[in-house]
Amino acid sequence: MSTIQVEVQGLSKNFFDQARGEVNAVSEVDFVCRSGEIFGLLGANGAGKTTTLRMISTVLQPSDGTARVLGHDVVREPVEVRRNLGFYSASTALYPRLTARETLTLFARVNKYPAESTKDRVEEMIERFGLSEYAGARIEKLSTGMKQKVSIARTVVHDPPVLIFDEPTVGLDVLNALDLQKGIQELRDEGKTILFSTHIMSEAERLCDRIAIIDKGRIRACDGLEGLRAATSHHYLEDIFVHYVTGNDTPA
Amino acid sequence: MDWTAIRLLYLSELRAALRERSVLINGILIPLLMYPLMMWVMFSAILFVTARTESFASRVEIAGLPAEHRGLLERLEEEGRIEVTEVDVPSARTAAAYRTGIEERLLADELDAALIFEATPDGPQGNAAVALMSNGSSDQSQTARGRLERALSAERSDWLDRIAGQHGLEGAEWRVFEVESNNLATGVEMGQFLMGMMIPLFFVIMIANGCLYPAIDSTAGERERNTWETTSTLATRRIHIVAAKYLYVATMGTVAGALNAAAMVVSFRSFLGPLLARLGNGDGSGFAFELPLRSLPVLLLTAVLLGALIGAAMMILAAFARTFKEGQSMVTPLYLLVIFPVVVLNDPSLEFTPPLAAIPVVNVVLLLRQAIAGNLLWLQLGITLLSNAAAIVGCLWLASRVLRVEEVATGSFEGNLFQFLRQRLKPVGGKA
Repeated sequence: MSTIQVEVQGLSKNFFDQARGEVNAVSEVDFVCRSGEIFGLLGANGAGKTTTLRMISTVLQPSDGTARVLGHDVVREPVEVRRNLGFYSASTALYPRLTARETLTLFARVNKYPAESTKDRVEEMIERFGLSEYAGARIEKLSTGMKQKVSIARTVVHDPPVLIFDEPTVGLDVLNALDLQKGIQELRDEGKTILFSTHIMSEAERLCDRIAIIDKGRIRACDGLEGLRAATSHHYLEDIFVHYVTGNDTPA
Repeated sequence: MDWTAIRLLYLSELRAALRERSVLINGILIPLLMYPLMMWVMFSAILFVTARTESFASRVEIAGLPAEHRGLLERLEEEGRIEVTEVDVPSARTAAAYRTGIEERLLADELDAALIFEATPDGPQGNAAVALMSNGSSDQSQTARGRLERALSAERSDWLDRIAGQHGLEGAEWRVFEVESNNLATGVEMGQFLMGMMIPLFFVIMIANGCLYPAIDSTAGERERNTWETTSTLATRRIHIVAAKYLYVATMGTVAGALNAAAMVVSFRSFLGPLLARLGNGDGSGFAFELPLRSLPVLLLTAVLLGALIGAAMMILAAFARTFKEGQSMVTPLYLLVIFPVVVLNDPSLEFTPPLAAIPVVNVVLLLRQAIAGNLLWLQLGITLLSNAAAIVGCLWLASRVLRVEEVATGSFEGNLFQFLRQRLKPVGGKA
């Protein structure tokens, strides 16, 4: 039986914005993710997906509620959480003046991958992501596609059991996006727990074992695709999403 | 402390920095090459001008030279680089017109200098009023004037000796007293004095310069490149990430200062020393640029202290910037603030007293000046260490408080350090 790897309870985030005043970016979010599943956070831009994932990855501190990764609390044990987590988003750039190999070595070592195995692990990642030809080149010299591969490699190089992909296909062309989705499925098949956020319905449909629909910082529904279909009597995820977000069904 | 993570991040920052052209130029090349290059250019230019000046012949006109002073012509001939044209004394009627003509020729660069002798009616035969005319805006005319003055002075001295002799006086009797100039300082001491005035000044400038780019690059630069979030997902405490960055900034400042001091000493020895010897008519006894061995640890210590202090202060300011440009505008005032007292206090008569030793940056400059001169004032050294250590600890404490605030760490705080402090220190309003 799969075990709970990520547990989120009543997670909230408020911040002050000079233009909008006090903003509730995330309100009382609850969900769990189990090992070997891809859990999708589906929501429009500004729905609270990134803020939720940033709190789980300890980049942001929750205003209220808790989140645990492998039982480690994100506030009290942030280093342990980060050690067991790989965080990837379109906005997490790489150090332009380091090479791909140096970047992977740095992330493996600082994220506590055993020093004696680091070299082999880095070469394994270079091989797996097809980086051999560019491993010695500085990141700033690489194409967008190659940078993205290095970015994923640095996310998984320390072999964390939990991976977060925050809108990973933003800005990628179709082939690169499909390549990335394939890579994520492979990681799931290896037993990793994957939190995946997107606003693209087809992506969520294809990849996610369970989907949480998030809107205005709140989870509106959370189930597998079949469960959501059964609950709403809609077949397409797009219609299911509209059903939960607007409260109305899409016109036929 | 997670020293492995700090070391890995520190080395990674250094490696990346050494691949950045701006860091290399500001932190290594300028401190290392600027002064040797500047002094080499200066040395070459002065030698070129001197050689050119010495080689040309001065065109001189002498009017009304009394028979008693024909020796002057021999002296000028001995000088070897003077073309003399001798003319008769102008009559009283034509004297004014003659002078006007000389002035016009001097200004038109047709003549370099002129000597006009006018016999004085009273006094012994040969006494004369002498007008030496030249054009101060012309280098050649100035040189000609110098050559004439030397010859005239020697002629006058001989003339006075002859007159005194006619009156039965020896030279020593009529000269009343002779001035003998005697500089007790050795060449090494004079060299140390000059180095003590110049090295600390540029030392501080270069350390500030060395810290400037890394401090902005490691804070605002991270945000601009979107690598801050990447870094903050590393499995180590944030304070360790900040510590690694701080060590990198301080290292760059320290290295810039040490390289600059070494380059300055080499420049003094290789360029300024020979130049001063050459300008002093090849005497060479004026300056010897040797750094006392015991000043080296002090130099290194002051480089570390200043690098650590300026680096910390610059990082606090740059922590609020979201772009490199913002970082530059936030840190530049500190750069000027550090340099200003050093420039103002660069007074050789300023004594390194214990109260001055309590002022960070200023104390380092004065300590270094003393060390270069071979004097170590232990009390002042102790106070300097304590005051700078206290300032560094204060800066690091403030940095840790500032970076603990999420809005600052993530770059969503809109404002600078002073706005931040004003907000935090503002009393929270409550019911009356």
